[in-house]
Amino acid sequence: MRGRPEPHTLAGAYAMDALDGRDRVWFERHLARCQECAREVSGLHEATARLAAAAAAQPPPALKELLRAETARTRQLPPDITGSRATSARRRGAAGPAGSRRGRTRRPGRVPRLALTLAGIAVLAGIAVWAVTGTSRLAGAAPHSSAIVAVLTAPDMTTISARVRTGGTATVVMSQRERSLVFAAADLRALPASQCYELWLVGPGLDQPAGLLPMPSHRMTGPVIASGLRSGDKLGLTVEPATGSRHPTTPMLLVLAL
Amino acid sequence: MSPPRSRGTAAPPGVDLAALLALVAKGDQLAFEAVYDRVCAPVFGTVRSVVRDPGLSEEVTQEVFVEVWRAASRFDAGKGSPMAWVATIAHRRAVDRVRSEQRSAERDRRAASSVIAYDDVAETVEDNLDRQRVRRCLGTLTDLQREAVTLAYYAGYTYREVARLLGVPAGTVNTRMRDGLIRLRDCLGAGR
Repeated sequence: MRGRPEPHTLAGAYAMDALDGRDRVWFERHLARCQECAREVSGLHEATARLAAAAAAQPPPALKELLRAETARTRQLPPDITGSRATSARRRGAAGPAGSRRGRTRRPGRVPRLALTLAGIAVLAGIAVWAVTGTSRLAGAAPHSSAIVAVLTAPDMTTISARVRTGGTATVVMSQRERSLVFAAADLRALPASQCYELWLVGPGLDQPAGLLPMPSHRMTGPVIASGLRSGDKLGLTVEPATGSRHPTTPMLLVLAL
Repeated sequence: MSPPRSRGTAAPPGVDLAALLALVAKGDQLAFEAVYDRVCAPVFGTVRSVVRDPGLSEEVTQEVFVEVWRAASRFDAGKGSPMAWVATIAHRRAVDRVRSEQRSAERDRRAASSVIAYDDVAETVEDNLDRQRVRRCLGTLTDLQREAVTLAYYAGYTYREVARLLGVPAGTVNTRMRDGLIRLRDCLGAGR
């Protein structure tokens, strides 16, 4: 972990989006429980809006036409009525668009322990950093990185963390809109070379293979992306032969309702 | 199925941006177009200053406005001005796109060409009142504050990158960014 400055000093950098993925996640966690910081960031955003105005330049006229078509087929978000108003409003006000993105994150009640939450955040931050730097840990993963970024930046992004029965923590970042999820895990039990972990989309009456997990690197597995989510799907994880299976052949080590 | 959307009624020029956004939240496309007309120049200008590539700038600008359309119901006038809300979406989108797409080598090359990002931007945009005010207020900052703010905002660098470019410790850059923005906010009368 790199050295962290005192969070208060980061308000300016945050207001100008000058924090990278990991720092941003960390600061937003701080913002969510620091009303004074949220107020300061909001004031600084008024200043950055003026910087934006100073850079004004007319876009090509065709853009408006494109948008007319785009909005006609784009569903709008309903007002945010989840969570206590104080919490969601503070978070939203503080974090701007990202706040609303995180507004739908599952209740802490779904995540059993603080340690687990922190592990999940660390994994998520790892994914974010991985995604933005484009440093591929997976052979041939490059085409996936834009799909991963799409999920991580989706307005309806939701994060769930859970323990894996045989050890380790899984984190899933999911977007219904993208019909995709990004899976990553930390500290999974090591497997012999003849076996690997396989993901499943567990639907009503059908378990669909959703990808093999790569070998861990620095205790981290993934991220991998699984697409084609159907409503009502759950995510499952099993140990399978190294070449993968068409149907789960061992008990589920994890079943997550999505 | 979403409900059928009315085209809405053309908003008179005096209607404020917050009221327009409230209409947009209800699916009013004419209100959306009025919002677009009011803020497209700051949005596009900001995106272009960060993204640089003209085609990509248009694409990101489009994404920003689709996001404004989608998330209009989440705008909360009690938490900030509508312009700040839109500009925040725009800047973050631009920065995220640049960071996800550009290889570090490319960004280093870009660094060389945009160290004086603000002046560079300033040359390509029409002179307006906002620009004159911002320029004047930027002039009241210390050199380090001004450089840190313009590199972060107009070129989209992280504070760690700014620190490297300016050859000063990251912690120093952080405090300069914050102090610089506070000073700007006060100078511009942008505080609430």
